[in-house]
Amino acid sequence: MAGALLALAVLLAVGLGTLRVPPAVTLAAIGKGLTGKAASLGALERIVWEVRLPRVVAGALVGASLGASGAATQGLFRNPLADPYLLGVASGAALGATAAGLVLGHGGGAEFGAGAFGPAFAFAGGLGAVLLTLAVARAGPRATNDSLVLAGVVVSSILTAATAYLVLRDGERLRAVVSWTLGNLALAGWAEARGLLPYALAGVATLFAQGRALDALQLGDDTAYTLGVRVRPTRLAVIAGASLATGAAIAHVGSVGFVGLIAPHVMRRLGAASHRPLIVASALGGGALLVLADLGARTLARPSELPVGVIMTLVGGPFFLWLLRRGRP
Amino acid sequence: MAAASRRAVLGGSLALLAGCGRGRKAGGGGGEAPRDDLGRLVRLEREPQRIVSLMPANTETLYALGAGPRLVGRDDFSDHPPEARALPSVGGLETINVERVLALTPDLVVCSEFGAQAVALERAGLTVWAGSAQSYDEVFAVTSALGRLVGRAAEAEAVGAALKREVGRVEGALGGRPPVRVYYEIDATPYTVGPRSFVGTLIAKAGGRNVVPEGLGDFPKIAPELVVSADPEVMVGLSLGEARARPGWGAIAAVRAGRVRQLTPEERTVITRPGPRLGEGLRILAEIVHPGALG
Repeated sequence: MAGALLALAVLLAVGLGTLRVPPAVTLAAIGKGLTGKAASLGALERIVWEVRLPRVVAGALVGASLGASGAATQGLFRNPLADPYLLGVASGAALGATAAGLVLGHGGGAEFGAGAFGPAFAFAGGLGAVLLTLAVARAGPRATNDSLVLAGVVVSSILTAATAYLVLRDGERLRAVVSWTLGNLALAGWAEARGLLPYALAGVATLFAQGRALDALQLGDDTAYTLGVRVRPTRLAVIAGASLATGAAIAHVGSVGFVGLIAPHVMRRLGAASHRPLIVASALGGGALLVLADLGARTLARPSELPVGVIMTLVGGPFFLWLLRRGRP
Repeated sequence: MAAASRRAVLGGSLALLAGCGRGRKAGGGGGEAPRDDLGRLVRLEREPQRIVSLMPANTETLYALGAGPRLVGRDDFSDHPPEARALPSVGGLETINVERVLALTPDLVVCSEFGAQAVALERAGLTVWAGSAQSYDEVFAVTSALGRLVGRAAEAEAVGAALKREVGRVEGALGGRPPVRVYYEIDATPYTVGPRSFVGTLIAKAGGRNVVPEGLGDFPKIAPELVVSADPEVMVGLSLGEARARPGWGAIAAVRAGRVRQLTPEERTVITRPGPRLGEGLRILAEIVHPGALG
């Protein structure tokens, strides 16, 4: 079901865009690309194969990372609002990205795109923030979910304040940084897709492997322990998997919000009850959701683009409220 | 494009600000009173002798008008001419320290019409003229208004006329050359400039044809697909390496010919600041778009 949704979203997103490309040309471009004949692509075919398709693939990978991470984090914290952003990964990445601009300067590789240092800084910032949260929350035997969430929120606030201060000092970059915090897939190419793939796969696999343990955790830490679940390693594995996948996603395309919140809730509605199917379905559904949101971002105001985070929240926000009104799944 | 990005971020507060801006009571004498961009008539009792300028382009204009010696303060971004840097700064667009402005005892504050600073400064009892040029034509209008405000109307006309002559010389030197397709990038989002923006006007006068269509506004976030299909012959504002690394951009004419030109921060400032150095900005662009044409 979720897989079909993703396939449909990808088809639509590759077929539609700023320029009108006949379906036959789209198919020919994908055919040539997949058979290694990318050198012989025509002008329109090149746009499909080199601009549009990698952007869609990158969007699907980012959506999958965020969706699966959201599902697992909500399970871990037994909180329907949880996502990896709660632990500071987004605010840390934003600080890293902003710092890259200051350290490397304009045009010094601080921008985002293939071969730039920006993503490396953002990734380091995101993971650094999560590690800081874990350290502050004393991720020892006495760490509780509450202490982790509290530490995450406070770490996030501190890093966000630092980012805001740095951004306001550098008015020239204000627009670029704000755009980045709303998510931006515009320049995602095959290099970004390749960079995201291992993190998305490893992240989803790690989370999937903890699926049974997450099911047991829903009964409470103590009950899970008596069922043979080692609570602390499970917690660390989920946090590591979600943070790596989310951190890589944010590093490449900015902090897209809401996917990690919505995708798992929709999938629970559609019948994914235990965590293994829920994590897989949330990955597929999250991918579809982001691909569709980015399609809207590319086409609603063409040939100009809208921030994907704005589309996601304007459509996703009301949808989420509607889900809430219908009561808990 | 500091002013432009601020406009985008803060534009929403403009309506609010316009609503709060009170008309000043008419004073005696002081000559013709120029209206500012908030629609207020600003009358001065006498020629201002202690001026604080909070907009980089306006600071440059005041110096060009010969009013530099009367400036007593500036904002963080007013960095030209060099003597402006010696003035005490009172903060940035959203961080103006009103107490520091008051301590300078100005009889005129020239500030941006965007954001809340005009209202805050006026509430503190200061005489405020809030306005800035956002387009090519507005440069001449603001220069003229500032000239009347500080009693340098004749100088303002001379500065405006000299700028127009400088622009005319560049246009003359480029005369007859076919326009070149140009893509100008503000940042790697990618944000670019529309044909009607200040930079867009300079590109046209520099013999370029902006690949960005009209109707998207002055600072659109452009679809990369469009840039690839429009196939610009010259790209400005990013490096060749950056352009090559972008998905599908390697096939663009400008990239293949190596005609992708990063701007130094200084060049970017000159090109994007709608003030008395617009002729200089135009020459930089013309040299990039039509190398060697200016001789």
